[in-house]
Amino acid sequence: MQSSQYLSQLNAFEKMSDEPWPEDAVLYQPYEAEQILLPEHASCLAVKAYLKMCQLPFEVRSCANAEYMSPGGRMTKLPFIRAGAFIVAEFEPIVNFIEHKGSAIGQWLDDDNKADMRTYVSLAENIFTMAELYISFVNKTVYEKVTAPRNGCVFPWPLNLIQNYSKRRNTLRLLKVYQWNDMTIEDVIEKVEKCCETLTLKLEESPDTPFFYSDQPCELDAIAFGHLFAIITTDLPNMALAQTVRKFKRLVEFCQFIDGKYFQMSK
Amino acid sequence: MPRPTRTVKEQAKVDLSKIPAHVERVNVSGLLRTHNDYVMKAAEGLFKARNFQDLMIESMNAKSYLHELGIFKDVQVRVDVSKGENASPNGYEITLKGQELSRLVGSVGTEVGQNEGSLRTELSIPNLFGRGESVSLQGSYATTRANELQLRFWKSFFHTRFVENRPEVSLSLFRHVDRMDISSFQNANLGFLTDFSINSLYPFELTHSIQYEASIRETSLLAKQVPFAIREHCGPKLASLVRYSVIYDQRDNPVFPTQGLMLKSVNEYCGLGGNVAYMSSTTHGEISVPLIAGLVAQVCGRIGVIKETKNTTVLPISSLFYCGGPLTLRGFKYGGAGPVVDGTSIGAQTHWCTGLHLWGPLPFNHVFKGLANNFRTHLFYNCGGFNSFSAENMRSAFGVGLAFKLAERARIEMNYCIPVRKYASDKPVNGFQFGIGYEFV
Repeated sequence: MQSSQYLSQLNAFEKMSDEPWPEDAVLYQPYEAEQILLPEHASCLAVKAYLKMCQLPFEVRSCANAEYMSPGGRMTKLPFIRAGAFIVAEFEPIVNFIEHKGSAIGQWLDDDNKADMRTYVSLAENIFTMAELYISFVNKTVYEKVTAPRNGCVFPWPLNLIQNYSKRRNTLRLLKVYQWNDMTIEDVIEKVEKCCETLTLKLEESPDTPFFYSDQPCELDAIAFGHLFAIITTDLPNMALAQTVRKFKRLVEFCQFIDGKYFQMSK
Repeated sequence: MPRPTRTVKEQAKVDLSKIPAHVERVNVSGLLRTHNDYVMKAAEGLFKARNFQDLMIESMNAKSYLHELGIFKDVQVRVDVSKGENASPNGYEITLKGQELSRLVGSVGTEVGQNEGSLRTELSIPNLFGRGESVSLQGSYATTRANELQLRFWKSFFHTRFVENRPEVSLSLFRHVDRMDISSFQNANLGFLTDFSINSLYPFELTHSIQYEASIRETSLLAKQVPFAIREHCGPKLASLVRYSVIYDQRDNPVFPTQGLMLKSVNEYCGLGGNVAYMSSTTHGEISVPLIAGLVAQVCGRIGVIKETKNTTVLPISSLFYCGGPLTLRGFKYGGAGPVVDGTSIGAQTHWCTGLHLWGPLPFNHVFKGLANNFRTHLFYNCGGFNSFSAENMRSAFGVGLAFKLAERARIEMNYCIPVRKYASDKPVNGFQFGIGYEFV
């Protein structure tokens, strides 16, 4: 039973590379205007940026229960894409999936650079997602004024209260796993600051090119853009994160460049 | 002391209805925490007795009435001549000696559900405030589909003048998990239910039940590879609904009726607040007619419809009807005669099925004596369809089988089925099929 499951998964992966990227791929996310929370918004933006960089066509569909439809993941479980018969959630699995399809960017990097880039990707994803979760769920004013009303808005009373409670509990549990639960906001800002510094240094390694690695985009560009842009453009009662990121002019410029190149153009 | 009983014994031919008698006193003893007014009704019939036969009948009625009140473990009746200064010659004194249920009653047992067996444990506090109020905590764990935990408070009003109507009110908190392996999803239902049930007697006896349910229904998946049409339903929703069910039952036996008609209808309106909206109605009927030599002809039918209301965005997948199965359309797997998405069966919006049976006793049943009464053999032909009431996409099967009666309530069937009309997407069972349940078509 168990082995046949693995076999079928293996078969599925083999099949994956045979079939090209379907025309009718759909990215599922929560409602952007009313419902989506900062960490989810950031990861959705990162995936969208990546897909656009790969020039893969996709349609965005908003639905209230996107999180529950998702096959699951490590952090936000969002967004997830449906490409043919496959359903994949979160940034890294989606990137791996696209690499299997053979239409990924960043293939030109040599192995050393690739490993290097992967490290940056996972650093950026972990630090920023945790910081976003922290500010959304641990900071009292942000939770009460923004997170709770937005998370609960798709559920009728009293289900919204139950959902808010369980989501907060699950998030706090996740923060505990990553040992972010008993940090102060200063610690969080310090972590974000360090991460921004590292990214700025990386960006300045190639000062003449707009991307992190030479003149072509890669995963790191997508994930950094997704999180940084979401942080600086989201209005929260506590703007500590945004202010921290804004201190790094080079990163803000980078965000504006990516936004202009991949998102404004399509509008 | 028990003068009349001795007379009866000695002269067996005495006509008891000619012995004048009347009841002067009724004692109900053994009431520890029950209030007196709760058992008052028991004495009412006794005082109406005018002869000794009535008196005996009425005291038996009083005994069974006290049992029904659900406060006594055991009731004994003692009839004695009236004593004391004001005693009249034909006066009698009745003592109903009851033994109250203990404060806490526990039970463990097995139960038969629709095509599954379940283990049930129950812990109850009967007669909580002395007027038949009871609280129970019930858990059941089933082999295949449903698990349930329920905290229920109920109170019957048999002690009022509406005793004939058997009114009962109940309130419960429940958590019910229903696994639909065939469609790879499960539905966890957490909520509360209020129920009011009453019998109406004119023009014929009907059992009504009006329920209000508010619950959180959370649909989640049981497998990795699930069709998107099912995945779309995931997540919690709040349902608020009223349910009205009515039963007309004139059968002579609930499991193997030889004659009589049973009709049952359950109607739901969901959408009083919450974000689930639908209207559904299910009607089940069966009629049996005795033929010669112990043979019984039976026709059963069931129809179910679920409809959108104007607030409906999507019909809940857990309320759809599954077509086929050993209890409805024999000759098909459970849900194996219904609509299919990407190879997975899902429920239909409407479904119907009918069954024609010819029941007969076990051959050589006189050899087995009493045991054979628990068995019947039958020939059946059943057909059904979904999403249309025409014969066009109808499925049908016929067969022969053996049925066993389980505790006057449930039935076990072992059938050899031959599907006659089936479609490529169906999951037919050509051969033996086993069914256990209490409501068959």
